Amino acid sequence: MANSKKYWRGVEELKNDADIIEASEKEFNEYAPVTEFLKEGKELANTSTSRRDFLKFLGFSTAAATLAACETPVIKSIPYVVKPEEVTPGIANWYASTFANGNDYASILVKTREGRPILIQGNELCPISKGGVNARINASVLSLYNTNRYKNPMMGGAESTWEAVDKAIVSALEKVTAKSGQVRFLTNSILSPTTKKLVGEFAGKVGNFKHVTYDAISYSGMLEANNKAFGKKVIPSYNFDKAKVIVSVGADFLGTWLNDVANTKQYIVNRNPDGEWMSKHYQFETVLTITGSKADVRVPVKPSEQGAVLAALYNKISGQNSGTEYSATIDKAAKDLMDNKGASLVVAGSNDENVQMIVNAINEKLGNYGKTVDINTADYLKQGTDAEFAALVKEMKDGKVDALFISGVDPSYSYPGFAEALAKVGTSVSFATMPSKTAEGCKFVCPDNHYLESWNDAMPKDGHYSICQPVISKLFNTRQMQDSLLKWTGNSKDYYTYLQESWSTDIFPTTGGISFTEFWNKSVHDGVAKAGMMAATPAPVAQAAPIVEGEAAATVTGVSAYVSQAIAAVGKAKSDGWEIELYQKVGIGDGADAANPWLQELPDAISKVTWDNYITMSLADVKEMGLNHKIGQEWPASTVTVTANGVTLEKVPVYPQPGQKSGTVGLALGYGQNVWKQQEPVGFNAYPMVSNKDGKVSYNTSVTIEADGGTYALAATQIHHTIMDRDSVVRETDINTYKTSEKDVYNPIHALAAHEEGENIKKPTSEFDLWEAHPVENVGHRWGMAIDLNACTGCGACVTACHLENNVPVVGKDEVRRGRDMHWMRIDRYYSSDTTKESGAEAGLGGIATYSAMEIPSDNPEVVFQPMMCQHCNHAPCETVCPVAATTHSNEGINQMTYNRCIGTRYCANNCPYKVRRFNWFNYMGYDKFEDVNPSQDDLGRMVLNPDVTVRARGVMEKCSLCVQRIQEGKLNAKKEGRKVKDGEIKTACASACPSNAITFGDLNDKETQAAKKSAHNRAYKVIEEVGTQPNMSYLLLVRNK
Amino acid sequence: MNKFLLRTSGLLTTALLFIFTFIGNANLNAQDADAGEKLFKSNCASCHHPSKKVVGPALKGAQARWAEKSSTETLYDWVRNSQEVIKSGDAYAVSLFEEYGKSVMTAMPQLKNEDIDNIFAYVESYTDPAPVAAAGNEVAGGSEAQSESTPIYIWAIIIVGLIMLVSVVRAINRNLSRTVAEKNGEEGPKDNNLLDGIKDWIAHNRTWTAIIVLILVILGVQDIGASLFEVGVYTGYQPEQPIKFSHEIHAGQNAIDCNYCHSSARHSKHAGIPSANVCMNCHKAISQGPSGTEEIQKIYDAVGWDAEKGTYIEGYVEKPIQWVKVHNLPDHVYFNHSQHVTVGKVACEKCHGEVKELTVGKQNEPLTMGWCINCHRETKVQMEGSEYYDEIHSRLTDNLKEQYMKDGTITVSELGGIECSKCHY
Repeated sequence: MANSKKYWRGVEELKNDADIIEASEKEFNEYAPVTEFLKEGKELANTSTSRRDFLKFLGFSTAAATLAACETPVIKSIPYVVKPEEVTPGIANWYASTFANGNDYASILVKTREGRPILIQGNELCPISKGGVNARINASVLSLYNTNRYKNPMMGGAESTWEAVDKAIVSALEKVTAKSGQVRFLTNSILSPTTKKLVGEFAGKVGNFKHVTYDAISYSGMLEANNKAFGKKVIPSYNFDKAKVIVSVGADFLGTWLNDVANTKQYIVNRNPDGEWMSKHYQFETVLTITGSKADVRVPVKPSEQGAVLAALYNKISGQNSGTEYSATIDKAAKDLMDNKGASLVVAGSNDENVQMIVNAINEKLGNYGKTVDINTADYLKQGTDAEFAALVKEMKDGKVDALFISGVDPSYSYPGFAEALAKVGTSVSFATMPSKTAEGCKFVCPDNHYLESWNDAMPKDGHYSICQPVISKLFNTRQMQDSLLKWTGNSKDYYTYLQESWSTDIFPTTGGISFTEFWNKSVHDGVAKAGMMAATPAPVAQAAPIVEGEAAATVTGVSAYVSQAIAAVGKAKSDGWEIELYQKVGIGDGADAANPWLQELPDAISKVTWDNYITMSLADVKEMGLNHKIGQEWPASTVTVTANGVTLEKVPVYPQPGQKSGTVGLALGYGQNVWKQQEPVGFNAYPMVSNKDGKVSYNTSVTIEADGGTYALAATQIHHTIMDRDSVVRETDINTYKTSEKDVYNPIHALAAHEEGENIKKPTSEFDLWEAHPVENVGHRWGMAIDLNACTGCGACVTACHLENNVPVVGKDEVRRGRDMHWMRIDRYYSSDTTKESGAEAGLGGIATYSAMEIPSDNPEVVFQPMMCQHCNHAPCETVCPVAATTHSNEGINQMTYNRCIGTRYCANNCPYKVRRFNWFNYMGYDKFEDVNPSQDDLGRMVLNPDVTVRARGVMEKCSLCVQRIQEGKLNAKKEGRKVKDGEIKTACASACPSNAITFGDLNDKETQAAKKSAHNRAYKVIEEVGTQPNMSYLLLVRNK
Repeated sequence: MNKFLLRTSGLLTTALLFIFTFIGNANLNAQDADAGEKLFKSNCASCHHPSKKVVGPALKGAQARWAEKSSTETLYDWVRNSQEVIKSGDAYAVSLFEEYGKSVMTAMPQLKNEDIDNIFAYVESYTDPAPVAAAGNEVAGGSEAQSESTPIYIWAIIIVGLIMLVSVVRAINRNLSRTVAEKNGEEGPKDNNLLDGIKDWIAHNRTWTAIIVLILVILGVQDIGASLFEVGVYTGYQPEQPIKFSHEIHAGQNAIDCNYCHSSARHSKHAGIPSANVCMNCHKAISQGPSGTEEIQKIYDAVGWDAEKGTYIEGYVEKPIQWVKVHNLPDHVYFNHSQHVTVGKVACEKCHGEVKELTVGKQNEPLTMGWCINCHRETKVQMEGSEYYDEIHSRLTDNLKEQYMKDGTITVSELGGIECSKCHY
């Protein structure tokens, strides 16, 4: 029986409600606003475009677009109207100039193409920087093309015109002068004598004027100590090349301390084990630095103990007992120093006047003055004293400063309390090129030109002059600071004329010989000039009697009068609990160019972490605090709360750092600023933690660390730290073994077992061939490199140089963390481990336990830096697996990568034993994920690209090309002139950037080249030679002087 | 169309020649204006114009002026060496020298009296080409336009006419047969249309249909394949340029070396389009081309040259000339002119064709990778007298040398000239 029951969906249906009936007829219960969605209902009905028509149009336009794409693109080619004589399109022009930003100095060569500066290299004519640059200097070309630069003068936070700003400032100055108010001029350490002269003239116009120098990283302690001891408030010149024994206490002189480029150039001369002698280097430091890594003996000490170490050293040298926990090493160091009187050098990084006084006393006792330390040739890199700056800030706070001019420094960022004081200044004028905390707090911003747009000069040391010349016309409506001063003093000259006149009256007379025009042209051409002392030396101190060796009696009493006092003072420096050292990273330095994405992407020389600063802590401490001690893509760092100097930073990641003194932590300065177009600052600003007691700035202080249970992802390019007792990646020996043994002992060749003519023999790997060999010798060129591990300091100048030269994309923190960094060359850093296979077996550890133990670096490890790039193997494993022959071998020994042929299988990267191939996972030049970090996404940033190198597209592999564009250019020049290629004429970007001459490039088939000689050296080996890749790159093993 | 054009221009030339000859014959006693033209162009044209003041005075009527104010003999001497005539103190000569800013006229001792007569014959016979040229252009342009469109027009008309004819004939035929059939009381032929006819034919001739379809398919596929290989290949690309610059006049008639204007070809990767100041080296003096002053004025507009006063305009805002690039290589290719021109000693014509005969720049070769590589395979390396190649050659082992020298030459490819990273990096 059929069920006749009727069900209702509700009372409404039962009642046959009108709404329900209507609703039930609709497919969708809710009202769908389709017609509204497609604009007005009527319009849609009235429109003549039906859906079919729409599809027709779509189809037609697609077809039309396709057809149009096949048409010849019209490319305009617009020549000059009147071509400048020296410009030939397609040929680079090189200009000599000077980099001086208050923290670094180098005479540089700037490469320009069609008027755009694209590369910075060192100027070999400069007797100070000697052709070296560091990463901060060669990457600085990008700051020229930063879109964030001020494009117009600013008044009250709004863009204005020069006329309006000039008028306002001049009238403000007149008012200040009328009421005899106070004018202050705040700058970084100015190296330019002409600028100083001009500032002096400006002072004359405005009355109560004072020029205050401020250095974000202060060397005030050293200046004051020298002032007391020698009556000269200057930094001496050091001669690391004359020192047989070097003791550094907390001075990272190869990375960040005072003229590191010049120091490296000098230091490396005597680190050659084949030389007559090799210097012995002791380093006492808290955070592991590259200088500490190169040291023969490294002792981790607390920052508060640095003074005590030096006091002990002084006592030992004076014949007393050293008596600290480091006595053993100190005694050895003291003995070495005493044995090399006059050929030794002690330096310290501390900003404590007392510590520097002890250093002076030690150097004095060792007779180093006049030999390795030259107090008569002042180094003007740092001139600011803490007391003077503290006095200025106090004046400002008290509202006593009526007008303040700020150039080249950002104290609102780097000096706590400055921003508040700035607000109380009547008229504040900033000459910043880019928005900064200080510039934003100023009433006027008169944007200075970039240094590549400016004329200037520099006197880095007494008697050494260099010229800074513009290499591009001004990009924006900016005006050089000096021109602004001239304008405001009512001088109608431009600074170029002023500079020339100043040179003709002040510097030229002491040179003699040639006419001024000749002298000037030669100076501009060479970038440097040597002259006697200027008539009016702008040194900030009164002249004192020069100290000459042998007649230093007067000053000895000066030093010794203070030294006991100093020793007593440092003796008090005791600290319980955690101590923090606020250090600088090689790439970021004091943070002046932290907005540069190339520098952020450059891995830290030691930790290999990019795009961040973090707390460095010894592994033991990390474990004790229960924090993450393994950092990697999937293993984030633990975070802690750090409190020092009354300032608390939260959620700071902790990086376990071998070599860090237990009980101390380190945090890098210079971070906490916006990078490129990013809106969020990168890292943490550690400057507020810099302690400032009685006008004495100290970069170490006590600190409290508390775990907060959080995590933070760090992007490191190397997460494996040891070489696991293998001897085929990096090789090292000590000087005695090297000097007394056969090559087989310290550098054995790899041999494999073979069976030939019925006998078991060993044959070198080079004799095994799986494939038909490429012609190697007896063909044309064979390009290759020899890389000296003894010379490499790991500074990273080569990495940024490669970045510039080869248009390597910036990928940002997230991609680096995923292991997708694009650097064509990297510097691998390996720590030694306490465990070896033998020691593991002796200790009864099993195989796996031994290997696990070998992964853990020593507490105070020995460190090796190894620059690693494509090895250009003659039996390249990548070439055989490419399905489309996109990577092939040239008959000049280059492993070629052909982007337009690559289909992105990545087999080659998979098969590369050196892991040097990089894959373009994204279109870094266009994809919006990289908009804020990649300079090439911006019309202005794109100007820095090298026009001779293809910009790679998404989905292709890339890697070191051995700067083939430079090789081709060098060969072409030789062919045009019908001559052989000269040795050293062609240099890869990394080789030309290296301040320690660790990389030698050349033609290995020409036996006379340096590269060929080094490749055949007893120290030369190939990395993982046993796999039979037969690379064209050789490494010279590390020799420690222990 | 060409025939028509040829005929027209031929007629025009003949007419002009006839007129010139006539004038020449009538006025100047069989002096040779043609020979004079050659002499004028090679010796005088850089400073003189028949009817215009350039660096020196307009030459028309000069003979008469000299005859009046000095003597014809002095004019001959003046042309051969003006400075001596001035030294001799001839009043007219001195006044001329003063009038033209004491610029010294180049001495031409090689010219004989007859040559000078011929030159003046040409000068006197010269008529300003501007109106003539303009008219000629109009005529030529008109005829060109006609001759270009005529065949398509005609063909279209013929085809349409034929189709109409065929349909009319068919219709008449059908009507006639229907009438005949109706008369005979039979059923007329069906009112058949063309499509049905084709269908019918196909139904009865299947083999032929298959063959025709096969042929069509093969032709189609081949055509598509061939056209795919042409994507991005622009052989014969000859874009319109902002100035009607003629290589034929510069490199052909006046035999200016390619490197004079494209000077960076010897030094740089770019051959370089000459900057306007290079043009001005000659065009300061030459303000008129075959089509008048309009095109050369464009150079003056770029640099700001006042042709009337013969000076640059002060404070002029220069306007670069926006040429259209003819030879475009993809961005991932590195090509260097100096490598080919200076080192390889390759003649410009090898890649750019007979530019001397071109009025507008044209891409002569496909510029494909295959084309490059072919040349690298065939071209011998210019090793003579180069220490660079001596060194490279000396490094080769004997068996390699033997292998390379099998064909008697060392080609570019044998020294690695077809390796990827020679052009791609």
